[in-house]
Amino acid sequence: MSTAKAKVAKAKTKKVLNVLITYCILIVVAFVFFFPCLWLILASFSKSGSIYSFDGFFPTEYGLNAFDALFNDTVMYNYPRWFFNTLFIAVMSCILGTVLTILTAYCMSRFRFKSRKAMMKTTLVLGMFPSFMGTIAVYIMMTQFNLINQHWGLILIYSAQAPMGYMVQKGFFDTVPYSIDEAARIDGASNMTVFFKIILPMSKPILVYTALTAFTWPWSDFILPKMLLIDKDLYTVAVGLMSLGETEFARFAAGSIFIAIPIIVLYFCLVKYMINGMAAGAVKE
Amino acid sequence: MRRTLTALISHIVLVVALIVTVGVLGVVAANVETTRNEKFTGVLEHNVTLRILENDTAKEQGYLKELLDAFNAEYAEYGIKAVDANMDQYTDLEKGGPFGYGPDVLYQANDALMKYVDGKHILPLPVEKLECADQVEDAAWNAYRATVGNDTYTLGVPVNIQQPLLYYRADLLPDNWEEEWDDDKNGVPDMIENWTDLYRFSQSIRASSGGTKYGYMKSLNDGYFASGYFLSYGGYVFGNGGRDTTDVGFSKGDGYKGAKIIRQLASVMNLECTEDTITRNSYSRMAQGTYFATMTTPDVYTMFVKEMVNAGYTQEYALENIKTVDVPRLPVSGDLEDESEGFKDMTVMGGVNGYAISSYTKAPNAALAFVNFATSYKMIGRRAALLGISPARKDVATELGGLNETINENLAGGTIYVMPSVRALAQVWTPLQTFCAKIADDVLTGKNMLVTDDALKSGLMNVDKQIYDAIHTLGGS
Repeated sequence: MSTAKAKVAKAKTKKVLNVLITYCILIVVAFVFFFPCLWLILASFSKSGSIYSFDGFFPTEYGLNAFDALFNDTVMYNYPRWFFNTLFIAVMSCILGTVLTILTAYCMSRFRFKSRKAMMKTTLVLGMFPSFMGTIAVYIMMTQFNLINQHWGLILIYSAQAPMGYMVQKGFFDTVPYSIDEAARIDGASNMTVFFKIILPMSKPILVYTALTAFTWPWSDFILPKMLLIDKDLYTVAVGLMSLGETEFARFAAGSIFIAIPIIVLYFCLVKYMINGMAAGAVKE
Repeated sequence: MRRTLTALISHIVLVVALIVTVGVLGVVAANVETTRNEKFTGVLEHNVTLRILENDTAKEQGYLKELLDAFNAEYAEYGIKAVDANMDQYTDLEKGGPFGYGPDVLYQANDALMKYVDGKHILPLPVEKLECADQVEDAAWNAYRATVGNDTYTLGVPVNIQQPLLYYRADLLPDNWEEEWDDDKNGVPDMIENWTDLYRFSQSIRASSGGTKYGYMKSLNDGYFASGYFLSYGGYVFGNGGRDTTDVGFSKGDGYKGAKIIRQLASVMNLECTEDTITRNSYSRMAQGTYFATMTTPDVYTMFVKEMVNAGYTQEYALENIKTVDVPRLPVSGDLEDESEGFKDMTVMGGVNGYAISSYTKAPNAALAFVNFATSYKMIGRRAALLGISPARKDVATELGGLNETINENLAGGTIYVMPSVRALAQVWTPLQTFCAKIADDVLTGKNMLVTDDALKSGLMNVDKQIYDAIHTLGGS
């Protein structure tokens, strides 16, 4: 009897120890990831604005000076304008990129045509190359199209590159039974009707996932806007923040915090769809 | 059928590729051709807009707006309008210029502007027609001269002279400095007059504060500022007045004595002097009273004041106590603990900031009129008053007096070594920076590998070789 009790107690202790260790590891990992964010948030509230006035890791005095300067002192650094530039580019790229990616994925999933396999392999291989490999070529082409120093130049590049990552969406469409298409066609539906009236309403999760990824890339990109935008009033937030003077750290931190807000809001609004979408293409039925 | 289709697609691809290539080459060729033509006819182009690239300080302090408004009012009858190019102050003309995205007039340092000469991105100017022509030191004009074949061209117009200055906090001077730190009784503290006393003062501050406060602090790895120690003892960057890049000369003369000075200065600092931290934190650390002095360029004075205000001082107090003076004198012996041979003026690396006109401007005569207007007596005087620059115009410098006059005299007297106006200068900084950081690190970590004169000489010769290799062997020029 006592042996059984001892066994139960041992098992209980083991379980508690397991939970304790797991939580300890999770807390350490969470701290590692959370600490830089916390530091940046506190730095954005630094009153002096300089990183070198900190007492150890954290500012000595707190205030809203950096946020005030961020939105009101716009002679040199026009953050509100950069913010709306970024929003415009990200939203337009998101719309165009999503349409193109979904159409590409749908075509590859549903239609059988010559060179389909070859195209799929080619896009897969091309997608493996880092996008900045072609920056010089892109720059020269943009000069020829007179799209340097224009937001539409960026939007077209982002939108055109988006379908290269169509594989996840294709995986999702592959999971939708082909018999649904066939049933619709028997009822006289055209390709367009099948796509818009039957497949698309069923694809909400993957649409949301595609739109979110198409939005976040231009939202945080630095290399392309840095290369193509010359006029300071056309800068995106990433390029603008990099142009801040070296004593403007608190303003930099405030700008970095503020830029995260739309992404966080979007994430919380759409997270349930996004998780569905991400999982949807993963398993082929 | 398939073969025909393949051939057709191949042809289309080839034609598109050719169109793009020919288009690019066409743009470049057209620009090269037009730069060869005589552009400065003296006849102003009417109804044109000039894009002016100025530095951030000019914009921040409101000088650029004042300049543009004044110019636009003066030239309104011709329909000439100057506007802020609104680009990054370090915008590379080579990148966007040939495609029509660069500024018409640009203000940068001489080394930045003269790198455009190789690609003919800036125009040779008829400077004799400008109002400032006779008022600027020949040494300043030299920074913008380039020789092609037998002809010498001037490609920029000097505006202000940059040289490092010593910044210090007057309120951190010891109360008894007049008795203890003014041996020559000239009313100027010795620690801002010569490096020997600044070194001694730094030692005393560190000792009395238990190592929490410092006297002189500077990132010793900064080649622009550190090069002055080598230049002062006979070293040079490139031979033939900075034009012969095959002759790299930091180790020439008694250049190694400069390395000894760096070694001694590092001993009164901390490991941050081996990297860029001090360059960035000197504004706030001086405001906090952690550093007594540092060395930097005249154009950042307002940043020291701003940090003092942030630290809780009033603007008046900050202006009264942040002082700038010419760099201290160096001991002839090259040893900060031996002043027996007396002192000599320090030679510092400096630069001449100025205006240049883009080769791609569609209105060269209007651009020249702008440069003439911006370098006029009135505007340079205004610029000096608002931005605290040291004007290259002698008449304005004389009128302002003080450091402005001293800096002009330094340039004329040769104690400002103007940054060579050659593209190869870009290859100088990394080897020099590495060596200076190594010297400081050697002292502060107690490795003591670079103690003897021979070790320092050998290290400097290695720096010269690395620079030479970067320019000539590795094709970095």
